[in-house]
Amino acid sequence: MEEYSEEWRSPPVSLVALVGCSEQHTLISEHLTSEQHPPINALALPDLSKLSYLLNLHHQRHHHDPDPSTPPAGIIKRDWLLKHSTRFPSVVAALFSSNQVSGDPSQWHQVCSDLDSLKVLIRQRNIKLLIILVVHSSSSPLQPQDDEIGEDRILALRKRAEVESKYLFVFTPDSDDAAQLTQSLNRLGSIFAELANTYYRDEGRRIKTLLDKKTLNSPELNIRYCIKVAVYAEFRRDWVEALRFYEDAYHTLREMIGTSTRLPAIQRLVEIKTVAELLHFKISTLLLHGGKIIEAITWFRQHNASYKKLVGSPEATFLHWEWMSRQFLVFAELLETSSATTQSFSSLPFGTADRSLTEWEFHPAYYYQLAAHHLKEKRSSLEITLSMSANENNSSAESVAPSVYVGQFAQLLEQGDVCTMHPLTDEEYIHYAIAEGKRFQDSFEIIALLKKSYESYGNLEARRKGYFCEFQIAREYFSVGDFDNAKQRFDGVASLYRQEGWVTLLWEVLGYLRECSRAHGKVKDFIEYSLEMAALPVSDIGSFRFKECGPAGPSSMPQREAIHKEVFGLVRGEAGLALVEDNYEFKLDVDTPVHLEIDLVSPLRSVLLASVAFHEQIIKPGVSTLITLSLLSHLALSIEIDQLEVRFNQSECNFIIMNSLSPLSAMSTNQQGCRVESAPSLALVANKWLRLNYEIKSEKSGKLECISVIATMGSHFSICCRAESPASMDDLPLWKFEDRMETFPTKDPALAFSGQKVAQVEEPDPQVDLSLGASSPALVGENFMVPVTVTSKGHDIYSGELKINLVDVRGGGLFSPREAEPSTDSHHVELLGIAGKEGENESQMGPDEIKKIQQSFGLVSVPFLKNGDSWSCKLEIKWHRPKPIMLYVSLGYSLNSNELSAQKVHVHKSLQIEGKTAVLISHQFMLPFRREPLLLSRIKTVPDSDQLESLPLNETSILVVSTKNSTEVPLQLHSMSIEVDDDAIESSCSVQHGGEGLLGPAILVPGQQFKKVFTVIPEGGSSKLTLGTVYLKWRRDFVCEDQSGSPMSEAWVLTKHRLPEVNAELSPLVVSLECPPYAILGDPFMYNVKIWNQTQLLQEVKYSLADAQTFVLSGSHNDTVFVLPKSEHILSYKVVPLASGLQQLPRVTVTSVRYSAGFQPSIDASTIFIFPSEPHIKQADMGAKTPESVAAK
Amino acid sequence: MIVCVAVVGHQNNPLYIQSFTEADDALKLHHIVHSSLDVVDERVNNPRKSGPTLNETFLGLLYPTENYKVYGYLTNTKVKFILVTTDLDVRDADVRNFFRRFHAAYVDAVSNPFHVPGKKIISRTFADRVSTIVKSFGLSSAD
Repeated sequence: MEEYSEEWRSPPVSLVALVGCSEQHTLISEHLTSEQHPPINALALPDLSKLSYLLNLHHQRHHHDPDPSTPPAGIIKRDWLLKHSTRFPSVVAALFSSNQVSGDPSQWHQVCSDLDSLKVLIRQRNIKLLIILVVHSSSSPLQPQDDEIGEDRILALRKRAEVESKYLFVFTPDSDDAAQLTQSLNRLGSIFAELANTYYRDEGRRIKTLLDKKTLNSPELNIRYCIKVAVYAEFRRDWVEALRFYEDAYHTLREMIGTSTRLPAIQRLVEIKTVAELLHFKISTLLLHGGKIIEAITWFRQHNASYKKLVGSPEATFLHWEWMSRQFLVFAELLETSSATTQSFSSLPFGTADRSLTEWEFHPAYYYQLAAHHLKEKRSSLEITLSMSANENNSSAESVAPSVYVGQFAQLLEQGDVCTMHPLTDEEYIHYAIAEGKRFQDSFEIIALLKKSYESYGNLEARRKGYFCEFQIAREYFSVGDFDNAKQRFDGVASLYRQEGWVTLLWEVLGYLRECSRAHGKVKDFIEYSLEMAALPVSDIGSFRFKECGPAGPSSMPQREAIHKEVFGLVRGEAGLALVEDNYEFKLDVDTPVHLEIDLVSPLRSVLLASVAFHEQIIKPGVSTLITLSLLSHLALSIEIDQLEVRFNQSECNFIIMNSLSPLSAMSTNQQGCRVESAPSLALVANKWLRLNYEIKSEKSGKLECISVIATMGSHFSICCRAESPASMDDLPLWKFEDRMETFPTKDPALAFSGQKVAQVEEPDPQVDLSLGASSPALVGENFMVPVTVTSKGHDIYSGELKINLVDVRGGGLFSPREAEPSTDSHHVELLGIAGKEGENESQMGPDEIKKIQQSFGLVSVPFLKNGDSWSCKLEIKWHRPKPIMLYVSLGYSLNSNELSAQKVHVHKSLQIEGKTAVLISHQFMLPFRREPLLLSRIKTVPDSDQLESLPLNETSILVVSTKNSTEVPLQLHSMSIEVDDDAIESSCSVQHGGEGLLGPAILVPGQQFKKVFTVIPEGGSSKLTLGTVYLKWRRDFVCEDQSGSPMSEAWVLTKHRLPEVNAELSPLVVSLECPPYAILGDPFMYNVKIWNQTQLLQEVKYSLADAQTFVLSGSHNDTVFVLPKSEHILSYKVVPLASGLQQLPRVTVTSVRYSAGFQPSIDASTIFIFPSEPHIKQADMGAKTPESVAAK
Repeated sequence: MIVCVAVVGHQNNPLYIQSFTEADDALKLHHIVHSSLDVVDERVNNPRKSGPTLNETFLGLLYPTENYKVYGYLTNTKVKFILVTTDLDVRDADVRNFFRRFHAAYVDAVSNPFHVPGKKIISRTFADRVSTIVKSFGLSSAD
């Protein structure tokens, strides 16, 4: 837009002139330009003479214009609008001070003469007149002044000036009231606007009548008048009329093209286009400002369509393209600056109906891009023109200058002091235009345009269009030799084309990139781009001509092959690379080897693709397995690889494959320590897999992964290719769209689908025995020892580590030690410790030896063991409950002392161990012999199982505690005692040891019982009695197991058995039988039944006695007696035994009426032994027993 | 005159592109076809703008550029057809008709059991058929 002068770029502003009273000019003109809307420009002229000078400057020419007889020399003068916007006022305001008007006659006379001459001046141009009477309020009071001027003077002034009364304005500049002043200025402003409007309307009408006369036979005049009318309308802000007349002018101008003969052909077209451009600019601006975007764009389309073909004569083609480019640029700038664009287009429907607009046409980017395109056309046609007129003298072009009319040029001839404009011939004009054209750097202009377009497309997320611009920018940079910028941009573009598989476009870009790297002397880049091009899937279908293609030529098979040959000539050192710099030819040699890396995302994957598949996923150490190494190349021609190096993560497995045909194989076999294989041929045929099978062996367990394959070609070139698994190999991004046979990297299709470049090497088989020697079930409570023995049978054990895990069998899986801690179950079985070998206890272990014990997890380190050595330890495990557990022991060790290369071998062992209860403790209460207290709770037995046992209060009861060996091994019993619990509040009963303690450990064979008798006498107090806990000390009887007298057997196990609580209750009646311990046949003895009433009540007791055959007795058989409170009743019988042996006494039955409880002594209690005669053993027996019991105490 | 037709796949990769031009602009046509994919994307992603043509396969004029006009067509399987013409005055009906016939030819080509979907179309029959359709473009008798 900068091409146009300022007055055309913005809507014209009315111009007025102020004459006289120059001290008021600033105030008024400032108000008019800034406060007034629309603004009015004011010319401030101090006196009349300046105005007459201004108006007379153009006076001479003014009258030549409308002369219809002579044809006009041009369409419109270059400075016509400037004249109207800066020199020719529409209104002249004559300012007179009140002093002048009301002063003495000489002053009045001066005023009148000034007015007269002013009127003469403005009448020629119909300029409107405004009289401003400046009244100074401060100099003298207002009221007398007004009076002084008087109506008649004002009337006289108005008549003299021939103006209407409203155009005589009384202005009081120094009024005290600011608001009043503003109001006054506003009124003045509106009067100015009204007068200016009238002036421009009148001028417009005047010219319109000229137009309407139809007498104009010259289209130039028609156009000129149209433009003038439109401009006058613009002055009045009548946009509609302005637009109409501009359009009229435009159409008339378009018609003029074929008919006008006024100027030489080229210049004629130039003039028309220049004017058309101006008109188009005006129309577009008006449309866009009116918010009519669609109309503006449609208008631009028509403008473009109607002038596109008007190329003109061949030597001036470049002028046409330059003009076209400018049209697009200006419209783009207009669109960009028009705020309405962004808002309104988004809601419009596009593209479907005929002739409708598309999205892009609403974006400046589109126009910038096309501007750049046309500028390129201009450049190329200018080059052609230049080449045709290469050596001509350009001296005549220097004096050419724009002439008076828009779009015309003339030669400026100096003749003395006078300059005259001389019309040009077309030839001279072309010289001038070429000289002008040469001054401009079109490339930078094109780049600038494309950059704008690129940015704009970027904002619109139109990637591809943006990249197309980017590509064009890069091409421009390339053509001007800015390879840095070019390369950077080409690289970006190439990545998009790679991604979307546009091979031909990619080919072109790569061709440029190749040249960029050649220009920079970057050999590696050059080789990479060349290789990529040689491996592109170009098709031969599309036939491109050489001319339009980039530096790489058309994308075709022969061209690919040519590039292939060139690059392989270079890498093999057979040919050099001609670098642009210094005309130096580059060759690969020892100092400049080239090494390429191809990773999984590299575009060079199609150059060399390496797939590696292990035939087995799991391999044993030291056992060889097969791997398939497959190589694929999509290069144009076959290539010969001299050497392949296959690299693994375990560097010992690396190997090299030499091509036996290659001359290099002979000289470079001195690779130390690396396996070298030889292959008959390593020719890589294009698009065909080269499959190689090799054995591979790893000694190290763990992952074995193929990292890369390095192909060496020639002595200074190698390609490192990342190995890929066939199972997870991505398609080649460009080749995957090609319709060709799918081939597999391996012969075996299953391997092609599942093959991996990584395999797992197993651990070596352990040559160590791990034995767990637990023999019998463990017993609850004891510290059960599990001996663990590690015996090396072929391996030395370094840094061995023993892990122990206890797991609940029912729980299933292994408890991790942490989980097991809070769980309740784990405490039932506990790993107490690990005892080392004999004589070595925990404190002696070195600090570096790991030993960790938790309840179900242990870790212990194993010292270094030589082959054949063994080491053992004992696990100490304690069961708290009978429970089977699983014991897992695993040994991990390394084969050599090097900690870092620690390759661990693991041995696992497990053992299920049953935990059993060793002893069963039971107890039993008994009453004293032949003494039966009546316990009421026993009579009223409720069928309640958990009822406590009842003991008679203050009576002696017998407690028998028996223990049974429930295991399968003999046990030693140390002692048994009843301890009163610490927490018992008070001892409410006395428990006494019935007999003597054990003299020594008693052997308890499996199933045997051991009993001990205690007497219990409940004494008063509470009815519930706690008897205490049975403490039983025992251990296994290791008679034959441990020959070394193991100290293990020393530990006594204490088993506790808590006795249940009992009820103590007072019995109301106690029945006791009294008879001698034995009787003698025929000897009478007393048999008493004592009934003791312990209550405060009279007890009625019935009794009956059954006869026995072997006894004769005296006494009543049955009766009812009353036993007095707290007294005893004795039933006394004299009995004579009639038979010897164990005899049943007559049985007595006692029934308490009050309690409805009957009592019959048990058979045992009523049995007596009858000797046939007096026995004689009594003395001796007693004597033998006494000393024994003393010793025991 | 039609100067270029193209079939563009799902990943915006060219499946078939053929130019029918005597001038040195075949490569430029590739660029134009590629750039036009932006408009197709925009039309497909913002169906709001296409308004009533929601289910329409014919995308209409994509954009005019330089001396060309670019038309688009989107099949139900999201394969794009692009047409570049140098004709200034093109009737929508002609373009629709062209695309309809082109679509039929494409369907026949990809129905070939030896054709792998998503790969470039290299069928000679298809190429011949396309050039016949291209030649008859604009001639109303060709329907």
